[in-house]
Amino acid sequence: MLKRYFEKVWVQNTTLLALAGLLFYYFAFIFEFKYDFNWAVFTTEGQYGHMGHLMLDGLNTTISITLYSAALALILGIVFGLARLSSFKPIYWFATCYVELFRNTPLLVQLFFWNFAFPYAFPEEIRFQLYEMDFEFWVATIGCGIFTGSFMAEIIRAGIQSIPKGLLEASYSSGLNFPQTLRKIILPLSFREIIPPLGSEFLNNMKNTSLAMTIGVAEVVWSMQEVLSLTYHTFESLIAATLIYLFLSLVIATILNLVNVKLKIMPRGHEPLNRKVADALFRPLGWIESGLEYIFWYFRKAPDASRTVSPFSRFMKMASKSAVLASKWLFVAGMFYVLYKVVMAVSAFNFQIIWANLPALLFWRFPGGDDTEFFMGLGGLAGALLMATLSIGGSFIVGLFVGMGRTSRNRVIRIPCTLYIELVRAIPLILVIFWFYTVVLDIVFKVELHAFWAATIAMTFFFAAYIAETVRGGIENIPPGQVEAAKASGLSYFQTMRKIVLPQALKQMLPALVGMFIAAFKDTSLAYIIGVMELTRAAYAINNRLMVYPFEIYTTIAVLYFLFSYIMSLYAKRLERKLSPENVRIEM
Amino acid sequence: MRVLKITVLAALLVMAASVAFAGPTYDRVMSNKVVRAGISNQGIPFGFIDDKNEWVGFDVDMATEIAKRLGAKLEKVVVNNNTRISFVQTNPPKVDMVLSNMTHKRVRDEKIDFSITYFFDGQKFLARKGKVKDAKDLANLKVGSMQGTTSIVNATNYLKKLGNANPKVIGYDGEVAMFEALRSGRVQAITTDSTILLGYAAKVPGQFELVGEFISDEPYGIGLPQDDSAWRDIINFTIQDMWKDGTYMTIYNKWFGPESAYPFPMTEKIEMWP
Repeated sequence: MLKRYFEKVWVQNTTLLALAGLLFYYFAFIFEFKYDFNWAVFTTEGQYGHMGHLMLDGLNTTISITLYSAALALILGIVFGLARLSSFKPIYWFATCYVELFRNTPLLVQLFFWNFAFPYAFPEEIRFQLYEMDFEFWVATIGCGIFTGSFMAEIIRAGIQSIPKGLLEASYSSGLNFPQTLRKIILPLSFREIIPPLGSEFLNNMKNTSLAMTIGVAEVVWSMQEVLSLTYHTFESLIAATLIYLFLSLVIATILNLVNVKLKIMPRGHEPLNRKVADALFRPLGWIESGLEYIFWYFRKAPDASRTVSPFSRFMKMASKSAVLASKWLFVAGMFYVLYKVVMAVSAFNFQIIWANLPALLFWRFPGGDDTEFFMGLGGLAGALLMATLSIGGSFIVGLFVGMGRTSRNRVIRIPCTLYIELVRAIPLILVIFWFYTVVLDIVFKVELHAFWAATIAMTFFFAAYIAETVRGGIENIPPGQVEAAKASGLSYFQTMRKIVLPQALKQMLPALVGMFIAAFKDTSLAYIIGVMELTRAAYAINNRLMVYPFEIYTTIAVLYFLFSYIMSLYAKRLERKLSPENVRIEM
Repeated sequence: MRVLKITVLAALLVMAASVAFAGPTYDRVMSNKVVRAGISNQGIPFGFIDDKNEWVGFDVDMATEIAKRLGAKLEKVVVNNNTRISFVQTNPPKVDMVLSNMTHKRVRDEKIDFSITYFFDGQKFLARKGKVKDAKDLANLKVGSMQGTTSIVNATNYLKKLGNANPKVIGYDGEVAMFEALRSGRVQAITTDSTILLGYAAKVPGQFELVGEFISDEPYGIGLPQDDSAWRDIINFTIQDMWKDGTYMTIYNKWFGPESAYPFPMTEKIEMWP
């Protein structure tokens, strides 16, 4: 009876409203914040300057880093994505090295490396000149660009490779040459594959720029911390920064949505409103396209009427061929030079320093720590792995339910789940960690936890949203016929989920989950910010003490991060191949 | 969903070593026999990580001594320049006291309470030896400082007073990054409290020197939760007792005495109440 009543939309809406009202009532009237809000800090000139202007300056920096690094990442992504498809092996190897190296180390470590270690590779005069040119800002921009570029390269490669071989064969056999095939067949089709994930990379890139704070670039999170430590208005500054990120994410997401709508294939004459808006917005691009099309047509190659080749054109052909060959050799030589330099640099390392500090990097002070430290002083790599395991385990459970909730037909469940997923995905992890460490656990739940647990809970909360999205994707991939069949044979919702949908969905999700674990492992480096002694923080502390061996220390932790992430990513790839439906043998 | 969240939180509560009790700090410390102190771990020589990966420093020793005198166990919590105020400001406070080379300022006193001054310092500039002959040279240099400290504000005002209308002061994330910036040549001078500058300059002896005079007074106080006078009293009394029986000077000389790595003569006296 109640159940049927609940299926009505207006009942669901009222329930939602009532729940929201209750929540509001609780926090507005019952809950004791013991905190006086004072939003005037952002509008008035205080003793230490105008905090509102400080935040706006931060926003300005964030936007410029985002734009520059996104452009760089796109260029790098296209170049290396195509290079990964090259049949010339040295280029392929080089591109693969780039992609794997930068995808499998944390951005924070990369930024530290570029900022603290890299300048020492230059002689002093060049170094000082570098520092004259707003060095930190450009390190952050280029660092983010290189990092995001490696992800984009993978997306672009996968998109182009997703074209079925049959289509290419068909196009060649109908007489199209390679450039024509590229333009008419490969690019239009792969675009549809590439654009949506590429878009979310832009969003991730925007969120990643928040790490620029750690090397002293005054962007939004930096300004937030400045406001926080000058005015002590924790809540106001956190909320302001969060709103800024939500706004930026919303802008990017709107653009992405329009692009996605534009890319969808729809019957003509029945376009919904958003498609019309997208059409109108992207019309200039269409004009450019048709202009280019005309130019290509105008400069088309005349069909070879005669078989005779003039000596000049034969010479040109030979020259271009040898130029290509020469550039190939030059590339190989350049690569050997770089390799030689790297090997020389590594062999000049002070390995004693690395060896002496390796135990601290792996375990920190475990098991010799004080009893007041976290778990006998556990930290370093072991701490990072523990944190990643715990948070992914926790977020798997939460994400499973939230993901199921998001596919639910009942609004009371669906809308809160959707809100949770979208809101969390719109703000950077660093802010989530701040929220949990300074506000949520302390002020809202009134619990006092070690920074390690605070970071673990924050990461659980953060990754649950991503896992929920994966779960939703998995659930929606199950053919609806199966669900109907289950229902028809009398299974309840939870029985259907447990016996039919989830086993299949989870199996498909496994590679994605391993990928999520890698991401979580890399992101444990962000717990650095609240003083958890994980690998990055341990390296920072050791570097702080030694002072003169930044190369040794940062290279070591980069290698440690890389080894673990790369091994896991290989495992994920193997899983994917093993689980892909084509290879499943049906036995009767 | 909610049930799950509550269960998870309850489980975490059990796991957590310390459970918060609301209420006056003094009673809680006395009944739990645990005192939590927020200390920096990158401010040489106040709180830093030494060769054996141990967390040591003047502030650490002070906190240990205070805890010993209160008969409680010390629990050290990492704070940095951005969190040292908010950790005692929250209700219930995350830590019972903060010893993190924090200057007692009136603006800060609006939010939290301070003990009597337990260390006397002042802000100075540190530059490469021989680079800065006269304090006036500082005006047009690129200067580094730390985010979340008043050193930035002081330095900006000082450089403005020296005649540079638009001074370049960069706020780095902590002492390490700031000193690294000076060492690698990103900035030509750094500025913060002189003892910290001495502490870092001692890392590479003979390369750097303090220049100019003190540009501000920096009396350090122990940060304490607001409006908790019983707790504030006991901390003040403990500091005074330490001064009276000479323990304070023993700790002081260990870190700043003539034979130490960062000699900084004691010129003032701790406030005493008869």
